[in-house]
Amino acid sequence: MRQEGLLRHAAVRLLGLIPTLLVLITIAFFLIRMAPGGPFDGEKVLPPEIRANLDANYHLDEPLLQQYFRYLGQIITGDFGPSFQYKDWTVNELIAQGFPVSATVGGLAMLLAFVLGTLIGTVAALRQNTAVDYSVMGVAMLGISIPNFVVAPLLILGLAVYAGWLPAGGWDWSWQRMILPVITLALPAIAYIARLTRGSMIEVLHSNYIRTARAKGLPESLVIRRHAFKPAILPVISYMGPATAALITGSVVVERIYSIPGLGSYFVQGALNRDYTLVMGVVVFYGVVIVVLNFIVDLLYAWLNPRIRYSEAP
Amino acid sequence: MHATSLRICAFLISTLTLMLACQELAATDIRRGLGPEPDSLHIHQARGLAAVNLLRDLREGLLTFDQHGELAPGQAASWEELDDGRRYRFYLRSDARWSNGDPVTAADFVRAWHRAFTPETAAATAGLLKDVRNASEILKGNGEPAALGIVAVEPGVLDVLLTEPAPWLLEILAHPVSYPLHSKGQDDPLHAPVNGSFLLANWTPRASIRLERNPQFHGLDSVRVETVEYFPIEEPAAELSRYRAGELEITETIPAGRYDWLRENLAADLRVAPYLGTFWLGLNLKHQVLGYSTRLRQALSLAINRDILTATVLGAGELPAWSVVPPGIRGYSPSLMPQSEFSQAQREAEAVRLFELSGAGRPESLLLELRYNTSGVHRRVAVAVAAMWKQVLGVNTQLVNEEWKVFVNNRRLGVITEVFRGGWIADYADPSSFLDLFTGGNALNNTFYSNRDFDLLLKSTGRVSAGARMKLLQQAEAQLMQDMPVIPLYYYVSRHLVNPRITGFSDNVRDIHLSRYLGLISESR
Repeated sequence: MRQEGLLRHAAVRLLGLIPTLLVLITIAFFLIRMAPGGPFDGEKVLPPEIRANLDANYHLDEPLLQQYFRYLGQIITGDFGPSFQYKDWTVNELIAQGFPVSATVGGLAMLLAFVLGTLIGTVAALRQNTAVDYSVMGVAMLGISIPNFVVAPLLILGLAVYAGWLPAGGWDWSWQRMILPVITLALPAIAYIARLTRGSMIEVLHSNYIRTARAKGLPESLVIRRHAFKPAILPVISYMGPATAALITGSVVVERIYSIPGLGSYFVQGALNRDYTLVMGVVVFYGVVIVVLNFIVDLLYAWLNPRIRYSEAP
Repeated sequence: MHATSLRICAFLISTLTLMLACQELAATDIRRGLGPEPDSLHIHQARGLAAVNLLRDLREGLLTFDQHGELAPGQAASWEELDDGRRYRFYLRSDARWSNGDPVTAADFVRAWHRAFTPETAAATAGLLKDVRNASEILKGNGEPAALGIVAVEPGVLDVLLTEPAPWLLEILAHPVSYPLHSKGQDDPLHAPVNGSFLLANWTPRASIRLERNPQFHGLDSVRVETVEYFPIEEPAAELSRYRAGELEITETIPAGRYDWLRENLAADLRVAPYLGTFWLGLNLKHQVLGYSTRLRQALSLAINRDILTATVLGAGELPAWSVVPPGIRGYSPSLMPQSEFSQAQREAEAVRLFELSGAGRPESLLLELRYNTSGVHRRVAVAVAAMWKQVLGVNTQLVNEEWKVFVNNRRLGVITEVFRGGWIADYADPSSFLDLFTGGNALNNTFYSNRDFDLLLKSTGRVSAGARMKLLQQAEAQLMQDMPVIPLYYYVSRHLVNPRITGFSDNVRDIHLSRYLGLISESR
């Protein structure tokens, strides 16, 4: 019964993706077209004849609705079209090259944040209102409040320029170049997860079934690991869905400061350049990623929390 | 559950180890900052400076640039000017070869030019070749690309025919839009044969572009480095960090506001040189107040203290500008505003006098709008200019900043603009590259300045000797500075950090530094 309910729930959620994405595509398509200026506007005005040739090449001379349906037809086949700005690449190629970079940096940052954040939060909860609690959470608070465009240059200056231990930026898939961006991205997430974990861990530790577990004479470590940890990280899990989506699709600030060729900059560069296809490509891609991750979080919830079951009431 | 998480951990660790094991660093001789990611490495699609600079390393036109940024023979060994400058005959080098070993022939040039003028190619820079016979007509769709004024006389001899003499054409022949194309891979710039000093070895978008020496290049013996790696780095501050960390030998620029620090700490590396560009404030002459009085425009210009602007507000080596055409063009000395000789106090007194004569009324009643595109430097200049106008003339100024694409559109339409940020960087080292902007009806004439005398002077330059031509251009510029549709503020400079171990990097007004002339002195141990 439970299995069946879960499957049905999954199927319904998956079908629900289609209208969500359609709305997303429609809004994004018309919004970027409403922005003044176009992909070929710049310091130097193109001769009208050349401009006409370019517009014809990219079907910009067609009515907007026709372009919209052309675009819909295109992305059904998985083709995001050519980039207006980076003319030697298609949007698919750019995403295929940028996403693994963003996903690696963001994924590692999220992993680091999850491990360290829950650890710190648990320790703080167990030593509630002690010096340990205050100092750990104080540091975590700093992590949230200092923006990464401050942290990143400081890290570069200290560890790359002065100490010379790590590269100052760039990307070649070497671990040395990953360290600083991963730390920069992870810091606020560590702090946030630590606070979430601490709060919910304190609440869980005061609940009846934990008292029962302790009364059974279970060692404290087992109580924490087997009984308290899973329910305590539920809020962390729901935070991690959208947070992971945001991290693995790239952070504009971190990518610019460390010159990382991830997806994040395409959102901003694409919009500034009026690179219609690139903006649409990354928006749709981001939409899919966030919807899928939310879906995974839902499933994780069911697995972690015995109170949430997707079976219909008998 | 434990077994599962262990397995996940093991998987993650092994993936990480694998990633670390895969990386292998190949030695690169010279690492250069590139600025933004190049828009295209196709000769007909490249517009941005990053792409054009890369193409100059990968390919070569009939002409090229020498170490000092001056025009030099490229694929053509020599040429002659015929028919009073309406025809050029080029003799190709006998050792001009494609990277696959095929000889470069006149037909390769004809093929490329025809392609540039085919509507489907939509070559954005084809307009640079507008002086070639029939070019304008073909661009308008009246005529086939085959009618273009380029003829392969023999495999090694090429004729280029012009409508009117155009002395700047030779420099266009060093621009990517006029490069030859091999018959293979015309649509595949990543794998097509090239004829320049370097080959494209690897291109990872927004990460790195790696070039290797082209063994077929005619000047191979003089190319001193085996490999060059370009790094697109959009953020100048990030580029500086990487330079300081020893990850770059040459940067594309320096971050705003770091000039003093660099002069103190990296004096040996800092290279600041005049550049063929001028920053100005454009005045929309369709605006009823600004278009009404020449004296008002002159007063606005004289009230601005350019020394403070360049030394304090900008402070990165820029030079005060009193003309539209910057200095540094061979055979031409710009027509400066006559008041450039004055002291600033005299200029300000003159500004007040002219303002009173202008008939613009009481200064307090005048509210001007100064529009610029969002950028820290432009904002600082705008604030300073507004303060100077207020202080000297008592005129109030409203600052408006706009996102780039919005700004260029408003500037082009000229409906709501009054005073706006403007400027120009030369397409080719000739005064006409600047002065043509102000001819009546030019699409780039955002001031809507229109003066028949000025237009006639420019038109008459086609039929005279080189020396007389420069004189006429000077006269035209003097007229422009008299009518003052734009207020020149400063001349641009090129700014690089260059490792002192680099040889062959010569500062020049074109800011062109082909990698083929660069060398690296090995570190003495």
